[in-house]
Amino acid sequence: MAGIEISEITKIFPGEVTALSELDLSIEDGEFFALLGPSGCGKTTLLRTIAGLEPATSGSLDIGDRDVTSLPPGDRNVAMVFQDYALYPHMTVRDNIAYPLKVQKVGREARYGEAEKAGSSLSLDGLMDRRPGQLSGGQQQRVAVARAVACRPDVFLFDEPLSNLDAQLRLEARGFLKQLQKDLGTTTVYVTHDQGEALALADRMAVMDHGVIRQVGTPTELFHRPANVFVAGFIGSTPMNLIPGVLGDGNVRFDGGVLPLNGRGDTGGEVFYGIRPEYITIGDVGDISGTVAITENLGAQFLVTVDVAGQLIRAVVAEGSEPATGDTATVNPDPDRVLVYDRESGELTPGAGYH
Amino acid sequence: MTGKGTDRRRRSSGGDLVTRGGAATIVAPAAAVVAVFLVFPALWTLYLGLTNRGLTGINAANPQFVGLENYTTALSDPALWNSLQVTFIFVSGSAIVGQAVLGFTLAWVFRNWQSWVRRALELLVVVAWIVPSSVVAFLWVAFLDGESGTLNAILGIETEWLLRHPLLSVIVFNTWRGTAFSMLLFGAALNSLPPSYLETSRLAGASPLQQLFDIILPSIKGYIITNLLLISLWTFNDFSPYLITGGGPAGATEVLPIYIYNESIRFGELGFGSAISAIMLVINLLIALSYLRAGRSRS
Repeated sequence: MAGIEISEITKIFPGEVTALSELDLSIEDGEFFALLGPSGCGKTTLLRTIAGLEPATSGSLDIGDRDVTSLPPGDRNVAMVFQDYALYPHMTVRDNIAYPLKVQKVGREARYGEAEKAGSSLSLDGLMDRRPGQLSGGQQQRVAVARAVACRPDVFLFDEPLSNLDAQLRLEARGFLKQLQKDLGTTTVYVTHDQGEALALADRMAVMDHGVIRQVGTPTELFHRPANVFVAGFIGSTPMNLIPGVLGDGNVRFDGGVLPLNGRGDTGGEVFYGIRPEYITIGDVGDISGTVAITENLGAQFLVTVDVAGQLIRAVVAEGSEPATGDTATVNPDPDRVLVYDRESGELTPGAGYH
Repeated sequence: MTGKGTDRRRRSSGGDLVTRGGAATIVAPAAAVVAVFLVFPALWTLYLGLTNRGLTGINAANPQFVGLENYTTALSDPALWNSLQVTFIFVSGSAIVGQAVLGFTLAWVFRNWQSWVRRALELLVVVAWIVPSSVVAFLWVAFLDGESGTLNAILGIETEWLLRHPLLSVIVFNTWRGTAFSMLLFGAALNSLPPSYLETSRLAGASPLQQLFDIILPSIKGYIITNLLLISLWTFNDFSPYLITGGGPAGATEVLPIYIYNESIRFGELGFGSAISAIMLVINLLIALSYLRAGRSRS
């Protein structure tokens, strides 16, 4: 069991490509930590640097109380689950799970025992003599996890392990991964580009962009108070509305009218008025009105896009209450949920919003 | 898996697009060409092997049917057994140990090099492969020459390599000439390995040798078998040692194709040569079958 301490890690690839830039991060012992970001943001590089598969250009990395910065991957006592699972096609499931133990010179009996145990904790009983090619995608994924579990590492590293599964299985796998991690209490770093996955799994998470961390916090913190417009736009199944306007006396003015704010007296300054579609209601009464441009069926809810003086504002409404395309509708943001971002820096300004 | 397999089979035999007769018509011209240039010569060789046909003289004009006499003569001829032994050493030495092992080693060593260095080295090795055999043979004769050869000049000695180590010389020659193929094939095979295979074993702490034997070689077994099949058949049928040693001295490098050439063309015993060709054909088939069998057992 061990936490991870990353300080000023920089990774520059040949050709002067900076993948990680003086990055600091500390991951608690036993924590399920998600690294979230768009492709090319450096999240996988960070994971591979923790694993030791990529040497850091500078900076230091501790796992537990050991400085592992210059240790080879095999000496770090970490296990990684790859996106493609990396199961060896010429080995049975049992041999695949036991392979790291074989390398570590654990006797045949003992390592097969561990493999059986890890396998059955992931419901792989009865599949142990099969080859990976004879398994379904979900089963292969569980074998890869079992292989990581069997060698009892200090840290699990997951590199988008669910992205090759179909939606149904992904949901299922998400559940058992979270359960497994709770049971084992092993520190886990989980890389994903799917914000829903990160929110669902993580105890804490970091959002990365261009080799730097834009925000670290619990999923709730990141969802409710994104620290900047990048995080605001990245987290949430429908992106946050960011309406450019000017901060007035307790409100924000834009071409389509006056948007309400609570608890702010300061005026002046160009801002983004940030409000999640979930916190906007659509109705007949209100100051801000526009034409319904698009309605999208999300199942139990509808995503309604309203054109207010050229500004598109999205709202999520319950099924059955959605207006028809072309209707005139008013947009009513919940002033308690509004976040105000500085337009130049993109950073959250203190004051208004959910705490 | 099986469900899909039978499904596919049913669809193809159902013949949605063309009838069986239509398909036969389409294939017929190609089949005719194959028949004329491959099947007929093979059958003709089998027939000749049963006669005493000669290259010149009365047996050329009026060959007699001699039954299996050529075969019994051949099998009791020490020269044939010598030739088989030489061929075996030549194939295992230059194809399996030389080309395959050296080719894999080169591919393995180059795999992590900067891509332009690798390209340059690959180009160099491929040049050795595409130069015509006759040119390569001449280069090696010049290189190994006893009086003014390059090798002796480098080593500062005078050895008649082609007389003192004839078989070794042709093995080195054939290895030099054919390694590029194995290197390219194994290079492609190594490239096809997902990087995560090796990374998983590195994370477990596997040494490079453990990675090689646990992961890499088993993962590219199919490529290895295909490569061994091709290069051992090619080498088995290779005539080019003749360009260097002519099969000598005293049969020391008389591989099977040279033996056949000597018997049929130099000594004019076409019928006898054909009988040995038929034996060679059988050996070829056995080599191919054994590799295919090894390939099938892998899944």
